[in-house]
Amino acid sequence: MDSLQIGTYTFSSRLILGTGKFSSAQVMLETLRASGTQLVTVALRRFNRERPGDDLFTPLSTMAGITLMPNTSGASTAAEAVQAARIARELSGSPFIKVEIHPNPQHLMPDPIETYEASKILAKEGFLVMPYIPADPVLAKRLEEAGCASVMPLGSAIGSGQGLATAEMLRIIIRESNIPVIVDAGLRSPSEAALAMETGCSAVLVNSAVAVAGNPPAMAEAFAGAVEAGRKAFRAGIMEKSGTAVATSPLTTFLGPAS
Amino acid sequence: MNATLPEWLNPSPDETRFREMLSPESSWTLERLAAESRAITLRRFGRTMTLYAPLYLSNHCPSGCAYCGFASDRTTPRSRLEQDELHTELAAMKNLGISDVLLLTGERTRNADFDYLRRSVETAASHMQRVSIEAFPMSTEEYRELARAGCTGITIYQETYDREQYARLHRWGPKKDYAERLDTPSRALEGGIKTAGLGVLLGLADPQQDALMLYRHIRHLGRTWWRAGLSISFPRIRPQTGGYQPPFSVSDHQLARMIFAFRIALPDVELVLSTRESPAFRDGMAGLGITRMSIASRTTVGGYTEPENNKNGQFHIHDDRSTEKFCKALKAKQIEPVFKNWEHAYNGPSSPEPAPPAT
Repeated sequence: MDSLQIGTYTFSSRLILGTGKFSSAQVMLETLRASGTQLVTVALRRFNRERPGDDLFTPLSTMAGITLMPNTSGASTAAEAVQAARIARELSGSPFIKVEIHPNPQHLMPDPIETYEASKILAKEGFLVMPYIPADPVLAKRLEEAGCASVMPLGSAIGSGQGLATAEMLRIIIRESNIPVIVDAGLRSPSEAALAMETGCSAVLVNSAVAVAGNPPAMAEAFAGAVEAGRKAFRAGIMEKSGTAVATSPLTTFLGPAS
Repeated sequence: MNATLPEWLNPSPDETRFREMLSPESSWTLERLAAESRAITLRRFGRTMTLYAPLYLSNHCPSGCAYCGFASDRTTPRSRLEQDELHTELAAMKNLGISDVLLLTGERTRNADFDYLRRSVETAASHMQRVSIEAFPMSTEEYRELARAGCTGITIYQETYDREQYARLHRWGPKKDYAERLDTPSRALEGGIKTAGLGVLLGLADPQQDALMLYRHIRHLGRTWWRAGLSISFPRIRPQTGGYQPPFSVSDHQLARMIFAFRIALPDVELVLSTRESPAFRDGMAGLGITRMSIASRTTVGGYTEPENNKNGQFHIHDDRSTEKFCKALKAKQIEPVFKNWEHAYNGPSSPEPAPPAT
């Protein structure tokens, strides 16, 4: 069976969903159900033990078939992210941590230096570290060496809907990686998710595109179909584009037989 | 007078579109602005509204701001919260679900000085996830101490960027110093405070000109302090004790246009609307550009343990709906009120402490 393996966890769905930006917890839960997702990220800052109506953790933790991946969104340094990760593990019991460190709260670009430092520490502490990173092939390999369970390079800026603006770098990251590569952030439509999967990434993470869609559950279903189609296409072997194909008649017979 | 203004307050090429959007005569109709502003807000912030509440620590003030109910020549009774009272107020606020608090004082006095404020920040940080202040201008070192105590944001309004009007309105007291106030957000961000909230008190001077200067200020801060979180508030002057009549009136249409223009020009910046505004205006603007709102506000010292709103506040609030009622209105618009959008673990200073000088 073609499943996504992260640490000892196996997922048949390759669509990971975020839980922010929804109009209500109820719409969020309906959307998750419609998507068939098995791995869901939730910000520690949206855990609220004091006001149940404002809490995202409790309703998610009671949902069957879902593994939670808390994230450190809001942290601006490695030290803050490490502390947040420990609190999140304590509260959720999940070994997953999506390391998300953006020192500038406006553009929300991940800080590669702080992310690397935090990931190193958390991997040593036994977390399944899933760092959200710029699409930088060198950083991706450094994080793999540091013991991360996957890397999550951005397709484009969070909430921008600019799709796979980083496609060229993503192809290098995917080609060189020994751990799952999950495209995170920037996807606007199912066709972009399909394209990411066709490129060979292991999964995609989507949030804004479904949360602010006219009908979030229906859009989640559309993304699920696209992710599945893209994955199947990748495994089937996609026809080469014209110009990249091998010539049909031999061009090198003048070299004689190989000795 | 102009000679001493910093260079960044001069016109720059990047503001052309913003200036055009501000003008009621522009080709941008209000509807077109609203549609674009709504789309940006949805993409970037989603269908959510982050909530906070103000807490007045003290209304002692040595300044003579002509438009303020706490000016030193007003007959308003003066008081400050002691730490045990502050605990009680914070507990009352927590019961309302509030986890994000803005602590307010007047200008620096012996009754409410830096040490008092620092202690109050520590107390508030022991109850709340997020603590910001709207108080008097401080030094970089003082801001660093506040950041270590758990303060992550400051709000400081220039009130107006019109220097002549500023001089007229600030009749006496420490707030008379225009340049010092202008430089205050920079000192706070340098001291490790994570977010700076700016604004002008709309009605004191030409609102379009003030909005333009505010835009330049925000752009300057963003370029200079790259880690800074930035937010803009849109306080329209409200009736207050003292009865000041503002020289400019700012209509709902003008204010809406201004908010849309800021959202389009600065797509990622937090835009804030307080309970100064009417329920209808607040509900209408939710989802169209505003991403942060105050709730259940009291503008008096000790207001959260009083049975009802007291008329001796800094200004009269307009949206006095209960938390439940306000949240219900947001939900009816498919917007989720978010009470907790922060985590105590993120309360350190914004950047590493400066290294000690080499010896």
